[in-house]
Amino acid sequence: MNLPHYFLADLPDRGALTPAMITDACLAVKSNRRRYLAERTTPDLIEAIAALAEDWLDPANPYRRQALARGPAELGFSSETLAAGLDAFFETLTREQLRALVAQDLGHPQRLDQLAANEDETRADRVSLAHGPELLVHVTAGRLPNPPLMSLILGLLARSAQFMKCASGTSLLPRLFAHSLREIEAKLAACIEIAEWPGGTRALETPLFAQADCVSAMGSDETLARLHEVVPAHVRFLGYGHRLSFGYVAHELLSSHALPKVAAAAARDVAAWNQLGCLSPHAFFVEAGGRNPPERFAEALAEELARCEQAQPRGTLPVAEAAAIAARRAFYEVRAAHSRDTQLWASPGSTAWTVVFENGPRLSASCLNRFVYVKAVAGIDEALAGADEFRGKIATVGLAASGTREQALVLRLSRWGVPRVCPLGRMQQPPPTWRHDGRPALGDLVRWTDWELPPRW
Amino acid sequence: MSSDCFSNLIRRVCAFIGGHANALCEPAESVAGEAFPALALDLFAAQFAAVTPYREFCEARGATPDRIADWHDIPAVPTTAFKELDFTSLAGAERTAMFHSSGTTRQPPSRHFHNAESLALYEASLLAGFERHLLPDRAHLASGRMRFLVLTPRADAAPHSSLAHMFRCVVAAFGRADSAFAGTVGEDGGWVLDGEAATAALAEAERAGEPLGVLGSAFSFVHLLDHLEAAGRGFVLPAGSRVLETGGYKGRSRTLPKPELHALITRRLGVPAERIVCEYGMSELGSQAYDTVAGVSAPRVFRFPPWARAVVVSPETGREVAGGEAGLLRVFDLANVRSVLAIQTEDLAVRRGDGFELLGRAEQAEPRGCSLMSAPEGVRS
Repeated sequence: MNLPHYFLADLPDRGALTPAMITDACLAVKSNRRRYLAERTTPDLIEAIAALAEDWLDPANPYRRQALARGPAELGFSSETLAAGLDAFFETLTREQLRALVAQDLGHPQRLDQLAANEDETRADRVSLAHGPELLVHVTAGRLPNPPLMSLILGLLARSAQFMKCASGTSLLPRLFAHSLREIEAKLAACIEIAEWPGGTRALETPLFAQADCVSAMGSDETLARLHEVVPAHVRFLGYGHRLSFGYVAHELLSSHALPKVAAAAARDVAAWNQLGCLSPHAFFVEAGGRNPPERFAEALAEELARCEQAQPRGTLPVAEAAAIAARRAFYEVRAAHSRDTQLWASPGSTAWTVVFENGPRLSASCLNRFVYVKAVAGIDEALAGADEFRGKIATVGLAASGTREQALVLRLSRWGVPRVCPLGRMQQPPPTWRHDGRPALGDLVRWTDWELPPRW
Repeated sequence: MSSDCFSNLIRRVCAFIGGHANALCEPAESVAGEAFPALALDLFAAQFAAVTPYREFCEARGATPDRIADWHDIPAVPTTAFKELDFTSLAGAERTAMFHSSGTTRQPPSRHFHNAESLALYEASLLAGFERHLLPDRAHLASGRMRFLVLTPRADAAPHSSLAHMFRCVVAAFGRADSAFAGTVGEDGGWVLDGEAATAALAEAERAGEPLGVLGSAFSFVHLLDHLEAAGRGFVLPAGSRVLETGGYKGRSRTLPKPELHALITRRLGVPAERIVCEYGMSELGSQAYDTVAGVSAPRVFRFPPWARAVVVSPETGREVAGGEAGLLRVFDLANVRSVLAIQTEDLAVRRGDGFELLGRAEQAEPRGCSLMSAPEGVRS
């Protein structure tokens, strides 16, 4: 199946983009928005999105099949890893979850449709209406498809015309998703444009941002700082910087009964999207003092990663990324030979997976692609001290602890600055209601009209 | 392991270097087909016995001298490990010299220790390599010497820099008395160029009409070129002048692609491309690779002298890659007698015939996701 040339990123010669083409595309999606999208209702849009998500879960869906066929070469994920990631993503996009997202972020399910009041607002004599930006511009980063797909879904719910600027070589999934939308709802797809160019191309960014009402960007701190300078002051700028995540395993879950399940859940989190997402763990802090020592957890994690590699292979890496793993393994191999405080488990004859155990709390950023640290700690305070370097930069903590301790641990993590805690094994499956970096993702897109009701004269 | 054993090994390696120092850039295999493997295996056995962290590393791999018959299989120590363990057979009191890498405030540097004997071997190795690549016409130079302008600091100002030591040895062995050093050490410990002193030396060489050898790191050349541009100066150095440029930038200047740097050197100094030689070395190695011989027009490929061999290995399997393929550079250097001879670098290289082409550092590879890859100041264990 060849995709028709519908979006700018479909064009074979992407280098031929001109500033005028960008401006024209922005004006076209804005015009289409007025005609086709602005008056759609929230339930109607939720229905369309949920139906599309169900389509994507169908193995026969031609867009999904094309994603799985082309993904390994274009994005570097094996088709099994890609399929698992897409399933995990689309399974969460149910009608109930999408309704819950609108209600959570906007306080009322009809907030984008009409002047509406929930119970508290009714008592306070106030009704409100929320509006999405007329043109929402997305600047994406990296190879993970789910963040840009979620961005497009939020834009649809907000009734925004959308222009998605993808990082070079990463537009495959957004394009396939938008083409699949076009098949069932051509008018909605007509409100979306997708293009791809190297970051920092000012000649194209300037006309794009000139048309925007809101720019939502993902990337490194340097990228975000640069974009923030280029985006005009009156345009709302939402920057999502790179974050990292870790897991925490309490000692009571190191019983011989629980340990295999916990290790399997941890391995799922490492394998998902080859660990490249900001919700993927770089390390697991494991409490000492349980029935099994943290080293045993590391060993079990290695066994599970070996199993994962059979079912969900990591795929081939560019030589530089493989070399980064090989170089780091070599370093820990020397350290492990010298001291029992370091141990190394590694896939034989390949860089497919690596577990480094260290008897010390200091968190190191991983080189990723399924290279993970296990750090033995006495407790949560030691773990947080070890992660101090990354304080404020943590996206998620995957937690495995007994019910009696969970709440205290979550409170401690929350006060330290962790925006999301989830069960181990679900780190890469945030629900649509997930507050991205602790902020309401849909709520941050809209502006409000509040009507304070008059007294009865 | 007695130090007599190492003295004997040093003598054998010295004989090897001396015996081949004039075999101009011939492929290692044809020059030293037999001596290299035997010496490498003997060195390995001695180092296994005398370098404790190396023995631990080899034993953990099950790679002991009795089980290694091919020098390719000698376990290679990653350069990063030199930052935290002492890979040396020299006891504390015997370590009369130490070279270290340019570490950051957050990272300890790699350390390479010497005594007088091993330092002499290091010097024999570096001089032989330098002579064959930079001074192939040495017999035609007046008293075999050349005037040098060195852009890095003098060795006494940078006592732990193997590069500064190398240039001191080169100037002492092959330099005329009017050779000059234009580098100094700044307040932050970084190297700075005295642009005026360098300019004066260039002007003097141009005026005298005698060839000049300009030696420096890549970033010191950028400093020089920037200085000359700001001053609106340019030179056409006399015929026979040559340039040695080495190493990375270490954040000390803007980074230029190699062809661009060389084009600028040609434009500002009047040294033609075929007289610009790139050197590849590091504090963990006793020998250096060069990518051409001054004055020879040939495709640039890095080669070590016959007493050191480079192998490009696949990061996936650890085995040598086929020609034209990329991998990690591993060096077996017989001049590393009191350290370890097998060094695993973090440099990515492509195998080209009997040499290699450098691509960059493995640690700089960043998978393209949305995960934070390092703390603001770069955390590494």
